[in-house]
Amino acid sequence: MNNYLISISIRNLARQKRRNFFLGLAIAIGMMILVISNAFTNGISDVMFNRIMRWVTGHVTISFNEKGNIRREVCRDRERMISAIMESDGETVSEIDESIGTFAKAIGNGSADNIILVAVDLSKSVDAKKLKETEESFKMVEGSFYDLKRTDIENAAILSEEKARYLNVRKNDVIRLRFRNIYGQDQAARLTVTGIMKNSNIFMQPVVFSEMSNVRHVMGFRPWETGNINVVLKNPKKDAVALADRIHEKLTPGRAIIYGTLAYAGNSTPVAVTGYRSDNESLAKLAGILEPSGNSEIKKDGAFISAKLAKRMGINSGSRVLVNYPNKFEEKSSVFPIKITGTFNGDINDNLIIVNEADFYNAYYDNLPRVSPENTAPAFSLAETHPLSALLATEWILLKRTANTDELKKKYQDMGKQKWKATLVDVRTMYESASDILKLEGVLNIITFSAVLVLFFIILIGVINTLRMTIKERTREIGTIRAIGMQKSDVRAIFILESFFLTLISCLAGIALAFITMRLLSLVHFEMQDNPMGMLLIQNHLHFMPSSGGIVFNLLLILLMAVATAYFPARRAAGLSPANALRHYE
Amino acid sequence: MNIIEIKGLKKDYPLGATVVNALRGIDLAVEEGELMSIVGPSGSGKTTLLNVIGCIDHATEGSVQIGGREITALNDREITGIRLHKIGFIFQTFNLIPVLDVRENVEFPLLLMKKYSGAELHKRADKLIEEVGLKEFTKHRPAELSGGQRQRVAIARALVTNPDIVLADEPTANLDSVTGASILELMKEMNRVEKTTFIFSTHDANVLQYAKRIVKIKDGLTVQ
Repeated sequence: MNNYLISISIRNLARQKRRNFFLGLAIAIGMMILVISNAFTNGISDVMFNRIMRWVTGHVTISFNEKGNIRREVCRDRERMISAIMESDGETVSEIDESIGTFAKAIGNGSADNIILVAVDLSKSVDAKKLKETEESFKMVEGSFYDLKRTDIENAAILSEEKARYLNVRKNDVIRLRFRNIYGQDQAARLTVTGIMKNSNIFMQPVVFSEMSNVRHVMGFRPWETGNINVVLKNPKKDAVALADRIHEKLTPGRAIIYGTLAYAGNSTPVAVTGYRSDNESLAKLAGILEPSGNSEIKKDGAFISAKLAKRMGINSGSRVLVNYPNKFEEKSSVFPIKITGTFNGDINDNLIIVNEADFYNAYYDNLPRVSPENTAPAFSLAETHPLSALLATEWILLKRTANTDELKKKYQDMGKQKWKATLVDVRTMYESASDILKLEGVLNIITFSAVLVLFFIILIGVINTLRMTIKERTREIGTIRAIGMQKSDVRAIFILESFFLTLISCLAGIALAFITMRLLSLVHFEMQDNPMGMLLIQNHLHFMPSSGGIVFNLLLILLMAVATAYFPARRAAGLSPANALRHYE
Repeated sequence: MNIIEIKGLKKDYPLGATVVNALRGIDLAVEEGELMSIVGPSGSGKTTLLNVIGCIDHATEGSVQIGGREITALNDREITGIRLHKIGFIFQTFNLIPVLDVRENVEFPLLLMKKYSGAELHKRADKLIEEVGLKEFTKHRPAELSGGQRQRVAIARALVTNPDIVLADEPTANLDSVTGASILELMKEMNRVEKTTFIFSTHDANVLQYAKRIVKIKDGLTVQ
């Protein structure tokens, strides 16, 4: 492209200043609306995903629900889960967080309210970016966020301004808590208010933060246990789903077996203990497979011993036996007392006791068994195709992966109908946890884009009209430059370039205007703390997140539209006969 | 040697349902370096003849050779190339490009040739601007010049590519008599110095004294 064509095009733009100014203004306003609306929609996603979901669930979550209790979120083997994550693709992982918290009743000075106690791990080193994010998320009114580390007071805690007002507490006051610990027992604890913060969004209002070690202690977590596990990724959009899929694969549960020593009437023998499914359908199937002796019946609360083992040990129906087994995480043994309700004849294993799953999992999860060389019981194995296989206890139940919020909701509805007593383990990404937000973002973007396209369509009709008027006004000039020797293609290029530059300059002005407007709108303070719309705000201010990719895409699209629109009038101008054009008079 | 040879040239224009026979069989030969005037009353076909010679209009019938090359069968790109390289135009209404200053207007045909550097363009344009007496006005835009000055710019623009032929359609019609005379003097001088063939149309008898040869045209035919 010759520079003189560009130079002439740009100079021509200045010839009809007023006309081009208003047309350019319209394009600039359209572009401004497009940029602002995209930035606002991106901002909503950013708030939801990176400032709420990321903190609440991480980019990928492994969640645990023990004994069918949706609030009993306990992982009994933290290291195994972390290994599964790291083996899946540790390179993509930025951080692994333990998510520990509970609902509690808080009693302040003369008033009480429900709160969510959330543990914050301050033992990790923090980079500058995270420090900034933390400071943005926790704008303190009183005290410092890092006062949570204080050990000179009992269970240092910070809470939101609203919650402090409601509980009538101030810094250094004590809040009494009542909640259920991980064993399902009612527990009381005391928190000392060390800081009060502004809640940056509606989700922060009920939350009371305390240091991880304090919360672990009051909730009864042992060192190898934790709550849900949140994985923060370096590039969540790219890696979250793939990593979740790989973790899911890694977490395929094995058979849950306690290998120990059966003690009865002064005798002992190696034994393997497992659980059986206790729903009616499974019980009926079990009866057919186990062939219980005599009149023993497979019941929901039963425990069956191999007939050969019972005979060898002199155990009868009604006998109370003890199974002693080494613990996985401590150098000690646990005792699993079992009341035998019958014997089975099925040719399965001569050293096996099968216990109803409720009793089995109580023992199994309370103290995970160690599988070690000192276990002398023959390893219990069963082919996957064996009819009994599907009826015996597994380490946990791994819920299937889901693709979006609708599937996730259905999965959680189905969890209530779950008849197994094993811990439910779910691996999910924040995108499926909140795919509705992505949908909302997509819909908002489409609506905005469509509206702006209509706007630009109208504007481009203006471009066509302007160009037609311009061509009419400059017909003699076109004749002159053609007579002098300019080729048709160059004439066409001049008019296309005029539209291109008008659109480009206007769009750039629109982008600049958009950034100025967003900056100004970001300065406006909104008091919406009790309004769900408040979640769209950060520190009571609108949050815009312009995307350079989006802006460039829209700019290119609009330029393309402008060039396409200008092409036909420009071609008409170029096609004028020089003689006719020179004869033209206004 | 003839730079232009026209034989049996006819040009018809459709005008509504009728056809106007603007040129009805012109035969004309122009020698290299001539200063020729085409005279005739309004509507006689002077401008049409110049347009056909200048390759900005097509002949309906007949043969037109410019520099020995038949132009009636050429396509638009070739014709445009001939206009750029062989022919210079001076229009009655000057037809300068308003967004360009004097020097840029003069340089414009050279830019279209796409073979000169910026320095060469300036050198060639400045030489001609000086020759037409507008050295002081190089940076002025057409709107800032008088009619006579604009026509001088047009002459410089027409000559800047060293064309074989300069065609001027009533170059003094929009000028007062004194300015018109100076423009014709300038053209005469350029014809003498540059040896460029000049053909200008006029219906002003005073202009004829500047021509070395006069071709009269009436009702689309040359009159001896």
